[in-house]
Amino acid sequence: MNEQTSEPPAVRPGLAAAVLLLGGCAWDGPMSTVAARSDFARDILHVYGIITWATAGIGLIVFAALAWVLLRFRERPGAPLPAQTRGHALLELSWTIAPALILLVIAIPTIQIIFRTQGAPPPQALEILVRGHQWWWEFGYPGLDVVTANELHLPAGRPVALRLEGPDVIHSFWVPRLGGKRDVVPGRLNVLTLTPEVPGEYWGQCAEFCGVSHANMGMRVVVEAPDAFARWVAAQRATPAEPAGVAAEGKAIFARSACVGCHTIRGVSAGVLGPDLTTFGSRGMLGAGLLPSTPQTVAAWVKDAGAIKPGVKMPALGLSDAEARAVAAYLLSLK
Amino acid sequence: MSEQTPDMGPDTGPHAAHASTGTYLKVAAILTVVTALEFGSIYIRALTPILVPLLLVLSAGKFALVVLFFMHLRYDSRALAVLFAGPLLLATGIAIALMTLTGAFLVFGR
Amino acid sequence: MTSWITTVDHKRIGVLYGVTAFGFLLVGGLEALVIRLQLAGPGQRLVGAETYNALFTMHGTTMVFLAVMPLNAAFFNYMIPLLIGARDVAFPRLNALSFWIFLFGGLFLNASVLVGSPPDVGWFGYANLTSKQFSPGHGVDFWILSLLILGVSSMIAAVNFIVTILNMRAPGMTLMRMPVFAWMTLVVQFLIVLAFPPITVGLVFLMFDRFFGTRFYDVAAGADLHLWQHLFWIFGHPEVYILILPAFGIVSEVLPTFARKPLFGAPVVIYSGVLIGFFGFGVWSHHMFAAGMGPVADAAFSIATMLIAIPTGVKIFNWLATLWGGSIRLTTAMRFAVGLVGLFTIGGLSGIMHASPPVDLQQTDSYFVVAHFHYVLIGGSLFGLFAGAYYWWPKITGRLLDERLGRLTFWVLCIGFNVAFFPQHYLGAIGMPRRIYTYSPDAGWSFWNAVSTAGAFGIALGVLLFMIGAWRSLRTGARAPADPWDGRTLEWRTSSPPPPHDFDAIPPVYGRDTFWREKYGGSGRGGEGSGLRNDTRPGTLAAPTAPLAEHVHMPGGSYWPVLTALAMITTAVGALTGLAVVIAGALATVACAFGFALEHHRNPAHEHQTGDLGVDHRKVAMWVFLGSECFFFGTLVATYLAYKGRSVTGPEPHQILNIPLTTLSTFDLLMSSLLMVLALAAVQRGDRWQARLWLFGTAFFGLVFLGFQVYEFAHFVQEGLTLEGNLFGSTFFVLTGLHGGHVTLGVIWLLALAILDLRGRLGARDAIKVEIAGLYWHFVDVVWIVIFTLVYLVP
Repeated sequence: MNEQTSEPPAVRPGLAAAVLLLGGCAWDGPMSTVAARSDFARDILHVYGIITWATAGIGLIVFAALAWVLLRFRERPGAPLPAQTRGHALLELSWTIAPALILLVIAIPTIQIIFRTQGAPPPQALEILVRGHQWWWEFGYPGLDVVTANELHLPAGRPVALRLEGPDVIHSFWVPRLGGKRDVVPGRLNVLTLTPEVPGEYWGQCAEFCGVSHANMGMRVVVEAPDAFARWVAAQRATPAEPAGVAAEGKAIFARSACVGCHTIRGVSAGVLGPDLTTFGSRGMLGAGLLPSTPQTVAAWVKDAGAIKPGVKMPALGLSDAEARAVAAYLLSLK
Repeated sequence: MSEQTPDMGPDTGPHAAHASTGTYLKVAAILTVVTALEFGSIYIRALTPILVPLLLVLSAGKFALVVLFFMHLRYDSRALAVLFAGPLLLATGIAIALMTLTGAFLVFGR
Repeated sequence: MTSWITTVDHKRIGVLYGVTAFGFLLVGGLEALVIRLQLAGPGQRLVGAETYNALFTMHGTTMVFLAVMPLNAAFFNYMIPLLIGARDVAFPRLNALSFWIFLFGGLFLNASVLVGSPPDVGWFGYANLTSKQFSPGHGVDFWILSLLILGVSSMIAAVNFIVTILNMRAPGMTLMRMPVFAWMTLVVQFLIVLAFPPITVGLVFLMFDRFFGTRFYDVAAGADLHLWQHLFWIFGHPEVYILILPAFGIVSEVLPTFARKPLFGAPVVIYSGVLIGFFGFGVWSHHMFAAGMGPVADAAFSIATMLIAIPTGVKIFNWLATLWGGSIRLTTAMRFAVGLVGLFTIGGLSGIMHASPPVDLQQTDSYFVVAHFHYVLIGGSLFGLFAGAYYWWPKITGRLLDERLGRLTFWVLCIGFNVAFFPQHYLGAIGMPRRIYTYSPDAGWSFWNAVSTAGAFGIALGVLLFMIGAWRSLRTGARAPADPWDGRTLEWRTSSPPPPHDFDAIPPVYGRDTFWREKYGGSGRGGEGSGLRNDTRPGTLAAPTAPLAEHVHMPGGSYWPVLTALAMITTAVGALTGLAVVIAGALATVACAFGFALEHHRNPAHEHQTGDLGVDHRKVAMWVFLGSECFFFGTLVATYLAYKGRSVTGPEPHQILNIPLTTLSTFDLLMSSLLMVLALAAVQRGDRWQARLWLFGTAFFGLVFLGFQVYEFAHFVQEGLTLEGNLFGSTFFVLTGLHGGHVTLGVIWLLALAILDLRGRLGARDAIKVEIAGLYWHFVDVVWIVIFTLVYLVP
């Protein structure tokens, strides 16, 4: 940024910036806002770039001037009183107008992108219903008859219209590499339109404080080629195969305990308070992106979810270790 | 007419003059008549298309009469008028913006 | 000790504000350190989710309302009368009242921690997370009540300082000759007066929702959750300027002093401060770009926000130009001032970035924003406050601070701050959201979070060094002369610390930097001509009012401020404990208000309060308050209209409102205003009989109006319209009820005056008291004119 300055306070942010840049900091982490993988994210990054350079330029000028002034105009013994200059109309006018011009450079693309990214979704867009719950995500594909949770699958190259609905408090849907966030506001319908472009797995997280486990409200977004997406849809719609062995035992426990009150497993139960578990075993993560789904983690979750995720609405079920392991085996068999 | 209170001293300027009792009575009479007009206008079918603007204008008039005469802003220091009118206009603007944003006029689509 | 409790001296109150706020700053700082420790690594278990959420809520609320605002107030209190050449503020006892309300409100908020239910919904308290359903404990109640209480304190103080600055300047101190700090203070007071009513309204709605079951933030009843966000940010954005503009003012005093040059383009710096304040009311929705307001609103608020950058940039450039060509002495105060110029520039520039809605969609609610506003509020506000502390310390304490230790303090704070917060830009850019108590090791956020935590402890060390320096100065510091820095403004003209009456003789003012002109003569080279300008008030320069020190009347102490504040806080405590306590507290508050007013009434020294505007202090104060009330009722009416037609169940307005009856009550209230002007005219004439008649008459008509309202409410409830029934009921009863509350207060006030008159204690010289009561009464009348039209008549 401004390594050549040598006076306070220019030097430290300058150095920090240099360290950040030169130290090879990763800019493409799983939640990076500057690694665009959709049209929406690219549009944003375009404006982001313009503004970053404009503001960095202004910052450079100010810090250079500050450093120069502090070096050049220090008190010297015996020097006469400095000229008591009270102002200069032309100078002041110029540094009123110059920033206004720079702002114009920022404002024009800003306005263009606002309207481009908030237009009505195109007719061929895939419609997806996103419902933010305390503290997990529900994804419905009304046209495809699919409902799932915490793992959103999108076909690459096709526009999607995410209709954001909130059944409880305000949340915010944010998958940084696919674009900016949009609040999920109960009583209002917000729509986010974007076209994911690159297949891959993306992280997302609730970005509006929503209560105790706000930090534990993550999601995974899987963008895949259209044929892979079609296979995924088919798998979601299939009725799960009848489990065998310990998993069958788990199914029996599931069916006779409180689980059925809140969770749907197609053909088994029809609860709506918690995530749909019909294809739980195909999802990699547990507890809204909190932990990887393994027999151990799932068993621990089933026994006492509250010990893993603060505030979670799922009660401790009072299952024995063996019962919990059986339920976990059943759930993980649901692919 | 009012007498000067002692602490106002010689430097009282424009706010020394107050309206007379007659003026107050006239203002009160106008306020009564306008209120009656407002009341009547809501029952006149023919006024329906212009009813809202009409009511707004009439009540703004009443508002102004009370502020200018009863609160003697008309006779008082200009500074007081600025202290009141500035916030009044700003508050009106914000109220209108707030209603617009919450969809009361449905100008901006949801 | 007693003298500190009863003090009404602006300097002592300033010290009380400073010490108390610094204590709260330490509390908020400790909360921040726990937050940083928790985030130092991924998956830490120092505190749990609930505790963490309470910590950041308390940290934000504390720093904004209990630390930075009252630290600003400390300097307003101590310095403003000295800077404008006054002996005290316009209402010294109200000034004390503001402090005590602030102290008790702050303790009340923190008491929530002691009873184990701190608020945990964020300092912004977004509805509907704050509703009873999602936050059943008392935490949110504590938060609502203390914010309301602190708002009262800020409002009283703000009215006080507006009147002081407008009406109590020294002879020759025209507005444009005022020091920039006084100007920024004036702007900030207007922001407080106008920005607090909307949040008060929002909080009242929330309080009614939680205590009485109204539906303002109930989605099921048709409520719009954006409403709270709008009300909060209509306040919240001006609040940013409330926090930062005083620091800008301080810097505008410190830079010229230590560059030994006048502030470059002072009028432009002043106008840009005013413009920032004004624009500050038109940009609030930039906090809501992610909320889904639609592209038109996004674009409009984006442009408005960018416009604010222009006057802000002008300030930065004018400060640089002030330094240019100067003879710069890098004292500790100067280091902090220069530090502000640099660090605020970073915060301002990142602010421009999220003025652009598309970019903001990636940055808002991420650590990028956390970095941004800490650059503004620490790099800006707090560095400005430190500059002010080092600059004015000798004036306040009469002792010098150790400059070497001061320089060390500056460097530790500056480095610690940048290490703590600069990496957070990067953390935000790689997607770390705000308000999370834990994060995954796979996110890539671990290293720079650890660095940031280390920096936070650097800040803590810096604050500790400041405290050591302050302690050493108070115990063994060298005595400060009256003018240790070769200052430019009036406060350096009096002794350090100043005498209770501030100035032995009120100094006449010849222009900007008048004290500098006195010392160095004329105008220096260049500039605006000779020191003696032609726009001084007649007679004031030739014979400056110069009473000797022993003849100066300074008001004595009073117990009423602290008692009134205690009564108010009792009412708030009662809201959480029992109705009996509420009633006792409310009655005690009214009783204390009477005691407060009668103490004033008894004292003949309070008769003469006409100031620079040629208007009595009390009248200026009332008009300022009425301006504030415009915002209060404007917000209420706007909410009523915004919610009109959104109710999901009946009854609806046209089914229930009785227009003929209300026309009668409107007529009654209009006529009460006529009686009120007749009463004032009678008091001014000294016509005691008529004065009494019309005063009682006005109060009687007010009571009749209230009778109409009671009948109307009772009738509506019978018809099925209740507070909790639907949105129409909630908005209607709260709007008209709050108006009725104003009428009730007015009736009490008028009856009090009438009784004073009965007892022969309301002479013609008390006309001003009737006049301001009348202004209030007429205003309540015009509010009803608006309500009558918009609520009853408009279909």
